[in-house]
Amino acid sequence: MTAPVRLAAAGAAGAAGPRLGAILLGAACVAWTAVPPRTTGLAGTALAVSIIAVTAGALRLALADVPQPEDEYFLAARVRAWLAFLALLRTLPWEEIAVVAILWLEVQHPARPWHTAALGAGLAGYLLAVHIAESGAPARRLLRRQGKVLFAGACLVALGAGFGTLPAAGPGAGSALLRVVAAAAVIAAAALVLPRRD
Amino acid sequence: MSSPIPNGPGRLSPANASAAGRAESAEAEVRWRPARHARRLLTLALAGLLLATLTRRPEFAGLAAPALLLLGAGRPGLPTRFLVRTRLASSQLYEGEVGALDVTVDDSELDTRWVLQAGRGVEPASATAVNGAAARFEFTVPRWGRRQLGSVTLVLHDRWRLAEGRVAFELPGVDCYPYPAVQRTRVVLSRLPNRLGEHAARVAGEGTEFTGVREYVPGDRQRAINWPATTRRGRLQVNTFAAERSQDIVLVMDATSDVGTPGSSALDLGLRGAAGAAQAYLDGRDRVGVICYQWGGARWLAPSLGRRQVYKIIDTMLAADAGWARGDAFSRLPRAALPPGSLVVVFSPLLDQRFVETLRDMRERGFALFVVDVLNTQPPARRAFTDAMTSRIWQMEQQAIRFSLRELGVPVVHWDGAEPLDLPLAPYTRRPLVAHR
Repeated sequence: MTAPVRLAAAGAAGAAGPRLGAILLGAACVAWTAVPPRTTGLAGTALAVSIIAVTAGALRLALADVPQPEDEYFLAARVRAWLAFLALLRTLPWEEIAVVAILWLEVQHPARPWHTAALGAGLAGYLLAVHIAESGAPARRLLRRQGKVLFAGACLVALGAGFGTLPAAGPGAGSALLRVVAAAAVIAAAALVLPRRD
Repeated sequence: MSSPIPNGPGRLSPANASAAGRAESAEAEVRWRPARHARRLLTLALAGLLLATLTRRPEFAGLAAPALLLLGAGRPGLPTRFLVRTRLASSQLYEGEVGALDVTVDDSELDTRWVLQAGRGVEPASATAVNGAAARFEFTVPRWGRRQLGSVTLVLHDRWRLAEGRVAFELPGVDCYPYPAVQRTRVVLSRLPNRLGEHAARVAGEGTEFTGVREYVPGDRQRAINWPATTRRGRLQVNTFAAERSQDIVLVMDATSDVGTPGSSALDLGLRGAAGAAQAYLDGRDRVGVICYQWGGARWLAPSLGRRQVYKIIDTMLAADAGWARGDAFSRLPRAALPPGSLVVVFSPLLDQRFVETLRDMRERGFALFVVDVLNTQPPARRAFTDAMTSRIWQMEQQAIRFSLRELGVPVVHWDGAEPLDLPLAPYTRRPLVAHR
């Protein structure tokens, strides 16, 4: 095996890891949210949209190295369809769609604070993995830089789940909203006291 | 076998010396905007907070916390001006030769990525996206011509990769020269002009090639006395030598018809052959000029000596479509373009009847012509009888054209572009070419 081929193989292997990680995390988030299956409201639609979006995002990552051919005339219908498919994959924000659909699916379930907290950690990991996979940024260095903030975020996720398990002070809707405001205030305070990034 | 490229076009001539290693600096202004990653995190944070408010479930607010912290941990002022340097290793290349482009940005604190968008007709020979403050892109140009290299995009990220800045730079163009054909032997005329050179002429002179012995006459050099012959004949005998002369070569490039597969078309082969011939004859200290014949006119370069003339000839051929000296035939060209007694080497597919008539006209005016036939394709023929018949007639016409030229005393050799040019020329390079007037 020649040196350039070895380099190309090493590069492909290096890129495959983060991509596979992102795909698995996305699938895990969907599965985590979908269990137990719900049929009420828009749960089915949200599940379908989240599966499509995660799949499309995975395809986008997998086909990231496929070059866009130069503009040519009189392309075959098959080639034009393939180019349109690639353009669709690369144009729409599939990860954002997946996040919104997964959260909406989670809303369809009755309150389960720790389950939702784990989903939050999974979604944050999914977005980070997608970012590492598509940018080629060195994962270890990126996570080391953001380690403290991610740790603080994980603490706040747990704190949010803890707020969710607390019983409301009173029977009214304002009492339930108070818990949300308290959680948001803690997050805002944490954001303010965190050191600015360099 | 050595390469027909002497040292590469960017390193030989003084004209190219300024072009070689051409560097440019430019100050780029970058507009920062949220990166795709930041937009995704924002979506997660806003969706979490919105759902927390709507459903009054605080765990969704907690879910938004990591994204919010990442986004809001602070955003220092990012620099907006950068000094970018681009350096092209050489602005002249031969076909298939690897060129290099170096790009550098002066700020190494940010995560930097360079992305090359190669122009039409330019093929990247290395990775098209490189991380780092400095990058080198390699490229090749498969076919001759003037090409725009394309553009390079500088993508900057802050250290957390949440902000992104992009600047695109247009890259300069490069001249791609046709890869010269391999030619080491030369066709030499029997009658050479009275000018010092390297070809042995038929007349006696002060050269180095021995031609015979004659009787001594007063005035002959003493060192020329052939003592063995003198001893045998009993009278003083002196050696005689052939004079060494140079010749004028005019390369005629037929650009009226370009047929065949791009990359090995008649025009491609003609240009490569003409470049190889120019190099071979200039190596032999001949004066070489060029005439590019095309629809409605011709562009020419008067014969001259020296290595720079190779590049002048190729430049003339590449710029043939912008010729300023236009005329209907070669009869209108000035004497300097077509000196009397010169050998005219023609590279043509012989498809244009007017060009063939022009060759006949030149031959009748007494020029010594030599035609290299670069036609390497045929009209597509199907199984239909009429197609086969048409193809046959076309082939007969082509044979007739070549036969008529040979009847006029114009040698026609076929060159396929793959083999060295020496092979088809071999029957004419072994002895001087006699051109009857």
